[in-house]
Amino acid sequence: MNKLNRFEKASVGAVALMLLAGGAIFFYAPTDFLQGPVQRIFYLHVSSAIAAYGCFAVVLLGGAIFLRTENYAADRWARAGALVGVVFTTVTLVMGMLWAKKVWGAFWVWDARLTSTLVLWIIYAGYLLVRRLTEPGRQAARLAAVVGIFGFVDVPVVHFSVTWWVTHHPGPVIINDALPAQMLATFLFTMLCTIVLAAVMITIRYRIETLMDMKQLIAGPVHVVITREPEPVQ
Amino acid sequence: MNPFRAAIAVARKDLVSEWRTREMVPALAQFVVLALLIGNFGFQIDSRNAPSIAPGILWLALVFAGLIAFGRTFAAEREQSSLEAMLMTPASPVAIFAGKALAASVLLILCEVVLLPALSLFFGTPFSGDLVVAVLLATIGMASLGCLFAAIVARVRARELLLPLLTLPLWIPFIVAGGQAVQSAMGLPGSYDQAIGLLIDFDILFVVLTSLAARFVLDE
Repeated sequence: MNKLNRFEKASVGAVALMLLAGGAIFFYAPTDFLQGPVQRIFYLHVSSAIAAYGCFAVVLLGGAIFLRTENYAADRWARAGALVGVVFTTVTLVMGMLWAKKVWGAFWVWDARLTSTLVLWIIYAGYLLVRRLTEPGRQAARLAAVVGIFGFVDVPVVHFSVTWWVTHHPGPVIINDALPAQMLATFLFTMLCTIVLAAVMITIRYRIETLMDMKQLIAGPVHVVITREPEPVQ
Repeated sequence: MNPFRAAIAVARKDLVSEWRTREMVPALAQFVVLALLIGNFGFQIDSRNAPSIAPGILWLALVFAGLIAFGRTFAAEREQSSLEAMLMTPASPVAIFAGKALAASVLLILCEVVLLPALSLFFGTPFSGDLVVAVLLATIGMASLGCLFAAIVARVRARELLLPLLTLPLWIPFIVAGGQAVQSAMGLPGSYDQAIGLLIDFDILFVVLTSLAARFVLDE
């Protein structure tokens, strides 16, 4: 065990926690009376949505801090948060679609929550593309920060603008006491484990981004030459 | 320097340059007519279902015409590196941005002058003041967002790829509310007033936000 570095130890811990959460979901939580076993999707579906929002909050904060202070560490946190957030949004969407097929009879309905989650996914996938297509540096970080901030603002707006249509999605069930105690305990535990997993993933990604920035820095002189946009060839 | 006068001067410069070349507006007008043509062949349209199909064709044509218009906003500045020169003047970056956005929205409105009557002409849908108001309100917010992201992608390699990817998701609120308003203006069920109220809210929100962000995008 001594051979593992701290990132590997954290990963092993996070995976073990997720396996424990899986155990709780399948063996501890009771089967839903109406929906049957498919309701067990709920635990990871909602947890990864919450983890994704947390990741995008990291993008928002990192972007805002970068715009104010030009601190590149903040930008690296934002980059890490966007990538991990897109992963968790993908998990939320895919699990939600499987659940919807069973319960609503269709993989997709144009409900407010589904539409805004899809828009969320598209915006942050776009954020990652912006990072890929810009030459790394101050300009790229500032542009991406603006994209991240607008993305975060747009999602509640999209959600609000579609809510007057009939919504299929169940409202928050945790707040209004609709969950039995065992289900609630399983959900809270799964949520905790998922947030730990997301935090570990962001930390590892932050380390990777730091190393990539250092590589850029070492290749500095060459980099300056290639960031110049060539004159348009007629 | 008075920011309003600076913004008007920038907008005037862009519009004079468009007037001398007359490139964008005829191209956009032809583009929207072509979009209507494709809509006609893609759907089986008759007098009964026209009001339920025409709003969709309207927004598709408008959104893609908008992408073309805003994508070109910074093209001339980039090719001649004149943006740097403009930023060196005492005019604030926000005023320059507002001027570019104003000019781009005028071009898009000119394109709507062709699109809206052509839609009524080809599909027989009612043409009303309500329809014009809804489209104009959506244009304001779409122009502010479209111009901000055009400025962002102007310095990126694959700008033609990136502009739609970044802009379309942020336009969705305008398409949702504008779509609802246009549908009610064409006689489909739904509250017109509520949709117009939302459009005005979104316009205020995004005009304020883009003005705040413009400093970070243009300032260099």
